[in-house]
Amino acid sequence: MAEAVYMLCAVASVTCAVMLLRGWATSKARLLFWGSLCFIGLALNNLLLFIDLVMVPSMDLVIIRSAVALVAMTTLLYGLVWDSK
Amino acid sequence: MKLFLWGALAMASTVAGLYFWRFWKESRDRLFVFFSAAFCVLALNWLGLAVTDEPETRHWVYALRLVAFVLIIVGIVDKNRRGRAG
Repeated sequence: MAEAVYMLCAVASVTCAVMLLRGWATSKARLLFWGSLCFIGLALNNLLLFIDLVMVPSMDLVIIRSAVALVAMTTLLYGLVWDSK
Repeated sequence: MKLFLWGALAMASTVAGLYFWRFWKESRDRLFVFFSAAFCVLALNWLGLAVTDEPETRHWVYALRLVAFVLIIVGIVDKNRRGRAG
């Protein structure tokens, strides 16, 4: 059950990243650009989550994956503060 | 260190959710409601990780993350369908 949740999180986050990237490629809206970068980072975070908790449970990647997520969210906040009109 | 990171993530998600809420109030575009809700749920996810300590049930906290991403997907699909229809 837990493995399914982690895998679905990874798949869903990659799907979000792809959809936002396609939206940005079509419209070139700045907010979509920052959102795409954020969700690429969140997708990487979720892929690391799956690797950490399912594939290599002996390693603890919580700091690395949380840091990746924080960089992703900071990127989005930067875009929201400076580039949204 | 991980508690600090999860706290920062919860706050960042909450702020993002507030921004999208403001965008919805200004534009009345439904997409922003989905994004706002998704980031609020992500904030709850990271808050939940910070306050829970049971490894056996922790995956339920991650289920919140899945809900957030599904909200984003639904919002984008809804927006694209409205764009094609109108």
